Amino acid sequence: MRKVALVGAGISKFGVRRASYRDLIWEAGKACFDSVAGIKPRDVEGLVVGSVMPERTAFQSHISSMAAEALGIKPSVLSARTEHMCASGTVGIRYAYAFIAAGLADLVMVLGVEKLNQPSSDEAILNMGTGVDREWEAAFGLTAPPCFALAAQRHMAEYGTTEEQLGLVGVKNHTHASKNPNAHFGKGATLEQVLGSRMIASPLRLFMCSPITDGAAAVIVASEERARALTDRPVWIRGTGQALDGFQLTSLHEDYAHWPALKRAADAAYTMAGVRPGDVDLAEVHDCFAIAEMIAYEELGFCKKGEAGAFVAAGRSDYGGDVVVNPRGGLIGCGHPLGATGVAQAAEVFVQLRGQAGPRQVADATIGLTHNNSGMGEHVVMIYGSEPA
Amino acid sequence: MLTQKEFFEKAGAGELQAVRCSRCGALAIPPRAFCPECSERAWQPAPLSGDGTITSYTVIRVAPRGFAGEVPYAIAAVHMKEGVSLLGRVVDIPFDKLKVGLAVRFRPLTRNGQTAVGFGPR
Ligand SMILES: [Zn+2]
Repeated sequence: MRKVALVGAGISKFGVRRASYRDLIWEAGKACFDSVAGIKPRDVEGLVVGSVMPERTAFQSHISSMAAEALGIKPSVLSARTEHMCASGTVGIRYAYAFIAAGLADLVMVLGVEKLNQPSSDEAILNMGTGVDREWEAAFGLTAPPCFALAAQRHMAEYGTTEEQLGLVGVKNHTHASKNPNAHFGKGATLEQVLGSRMIASPLRLFMCSPITDGAAAVIVASEERARALTDRPVWIRGTGQALDGFQLTSLHEDYAHWPALKRAADAAYTMAGVRPGDVDLAEVHDCFAIAEMIAYEELGFCKKGEAGAFVAAGRSDYGGDVVVNPRGGLIGCGHPLGATGVAQAAEVFVQLRGQAGPRQVADATIGLTHNNSGMGEHVVMIYGSEPA
Repeated sequence: MLTQKEFFEKAGAGELQAVRCSRCGALAIPPRAFCPECSERAWQPAPLSGDGTITSYTVIRVAPRGFAGEVPYAIAAVHMKEGVSLLGRVVDIPFDKLKVGLAVRFRPLTRNGQTAVGFGPR
């Protein structure tokens, strides 16, 4: 297979935006093209767009063609939309990777976009419920926060994890987001604020949850030859893995504190990349809820099973620790515009491994990991390096 | 084959029905087309006792449209005596009594003609 790298990345401002769905595409697309001299939209051969529910939120389908036209791209080899709930963006990056690695394309843009906020917040919450099983889960009032709350409660019962430790994930990611001008939230948060915030689904409080956010992100993926011609600092895709345990919660490992699919996806990516957990300098993990980041520490191999609480409390997932987790602020601080999230994670790794992350730069970063999930049982992991594998 | 419609009709009448693979013996609920263990399509109905224990739970304070008027309410993941896992709404158990390992029993919750899985005290 051919080597593949990111050569450009850009994101829109994330937040409760007045911008339209198309405005968000324009904003991220322009920022992405601005990040790399020497690529015009007409040079891009393929476009993959990760987007989950524009049919409901923007009354628009036929997304890839619409976005291509908005950005002046004329796809000649690949045009597709990916929908895989919260992991749609990273699933899109894998398509671009596979096309380029196989020699079917040389230059592909992957864009993720979501316009989730509606005039009524009730409508936005209802829409998010389409991600769980209609007949078996939504039928008795299940949405995403309770799913992850079940994992949190189980982790607390099994390993003695505390509300304060869950809160520290919220503090860290809100603090990181305060150094990211594109994040949804910019004020940081204290532990008192996090533990005093409104209960959503016990034990998860508001500041331990990602908000409902509008936003878009884009990256440009290139073959080795094109990458080396376009930039002296390509960010190489070294490994990737995806694994699924199931869709309905009852199809997953019965102990929700264990996410074996994440371990399998991570092991596949580590093996392909020739990298061990201890080599990772920064990780953009899917902290849709604080417990998800903690279980990710364990399944990604940053700490032993059950020790995530002590790991975050000791600062080992922060600057100066073992691995900086979610330097851009994560989903908790940046927000979670579903299809855009995985692409925004890649965009963060792109600037970090090029030393362009400004006040949130992770010192001497050479290996970056992203983890994107769609519920507790479906995971995608990417490993990037400043050098190819 | 047990269809979803039949499952919920039986559930509404108080009978919790799983399916057992006649080839490998795997038990499944909800009913499905293919055996997740051996891929066979040879299911036999397997009524469950309805008894189980809570493996995790949460009290929901913010709910989607249609449920917002019911908050707070609890849901639980339950390990059924026969070995399968099932999610449902918890009724008639005070929130402060909820804990991992608590014994519960299946309780059909029907409204507007639609049945969902619930659990109450044993
Ligand atoms: Zn079988």
